[in-house]
Amino acid sequence: MSEFTINRITGRFGRDSLAGSSRQLCRYQNHPVRFWIISMMLVLIGLASLKLR
Amino acid sequence: MLLWLFQTLGQDVRAFNVFTYITLRAVMATLTALAISFIVGPAVIRKLAALKIGQSVRDDGPQTHLIKAGTPTMGGVLIIVSVAVTTLLWADLSNHYVWVALATLLGFGVIGWVDDWRKVVEKNSRGLPSRWKYFWQSVIGLGVAAYLAGSATLPAQTELIIPFLKHATAPLSVAGFIALTYFVIVGSSNAVNLTDGLDGLAILPTVMVASALAIFAYVAGNAVFSKYLGLPHIPGAGELAVFCAAMAGAGLAFLWFNAYPAEVFMGDVGALALGAALGIVAVIVRQEIILFIMCGVFVVETLSVIVQVASFKLTGKRVFRMAPIHHHYELQGWKENQVVVRFWIISMMLVLIGLASLKLR
Repeated sequence: MSEFTINRITGRFGRDSLAGSSRQLCRYQNHPVRFWIISMMLVLIGLASLKLR
Repeated sequence: MLLWLFQTLGQDVRAFNVFTYITLRAVMATLTALAISFIVGPAVIRKLAALKIGQSVRDDGPQTHLIKAGTPTMGGVLIIVSVAVTTLLWADLSNHYVWVALATLLGFGVIGWVDDWRKVVEKNSRGLPSRWKYFWQSVIGLGVAAYLAGSATLPAQTELIIPFLKHATAPLSVAGFIALTYFVIVGSSNAVNLTDGLDGLAILPTVMVASALAIFAYVAGNAVFSKYLGLPHIPGAGELAVFCAAMAGAGLAFLWFNAYPAEVFMGDVGALALGAALGIVAVIVRQEIILFIMCGVFVVETLSVIVQVASFKLTGKRVFRMAPIHHHYELQGWKENQVVVRFWIISMMLVLIGLASLKLR
């Protein structure tokens, strides 16, 4: 793989693409943070109901 | 922009008047900034990757970081655009504080952009030389400080508030106010930049501090609440709650892409801009000391670098295994995620202490 090939799965390129498989393995580790963000958005929508009625 | 529209529509349909309230516009600003970043984010990341705007990783850093090399950087552009567009949509554009905050955000963003561009695209490892970086930071910092000093019409707008003490303020001279403002803006900007070394480490504390500053701005801008809580009333400062809310929304959406393992880094363009924006809001709402407390993580990161450099130059010995301090903990065996989440927790505690100062005085 050339140095500047873009990894189609991770969207990264350069030296990272050589290590793409190991990055793929830990890719799912950001799911908890994304669920926290969704939770925070829902809380915000809930708070908006204080004024939006 | 939308405020003007809703005010016009509100003359015929009263329901639109609900959008004149700062609280609702702040919530809408958060959701708008979130939506913009979520929609535009993937395209920006793809574009950065296509342009080969990838992060270089220091060779002497933790070995686990070598895998990050090539991850697209300069994602701060996404945050800046999102905050700017959202603020222009939801804030009262006749309010001069909004323009001061936007100018600071964009000004420091441009400095970061030039630095990143030279490092990443032009492959110039020095980027923007430090002296020029500090020169332009100083120009913007001093310019903004001078404008605020010149436009102040009330003593409350330039006094230093001592937190946790009732009606305790220290009057500042014009020179003192400009010097303090300069150090707060430039200091917070560089502190966020130093902290931005692990996936998600800088952005969530920034979101938390921005959210807290939104509350301080709302209180300072509201005559009733500021009197009730014993804070000085700063007419017009409430509108900064919309700006802070936009920062919180854009930051939260950025975290979606920046969470470990990061798909994009914010780069100097994001870190310098966000730090300066926090600083300018704290200055306008007169909460510099509270900002210092709430930004404790950024402060400690900065101090760790200062101590490390001073110690090495004076004694030839290092105090930390590596500076900034997040690398020290990594080398002690903490996983990257552990360092990040633990620093978030500390940040949350510090923000809570800052918010407690609203009542505890």
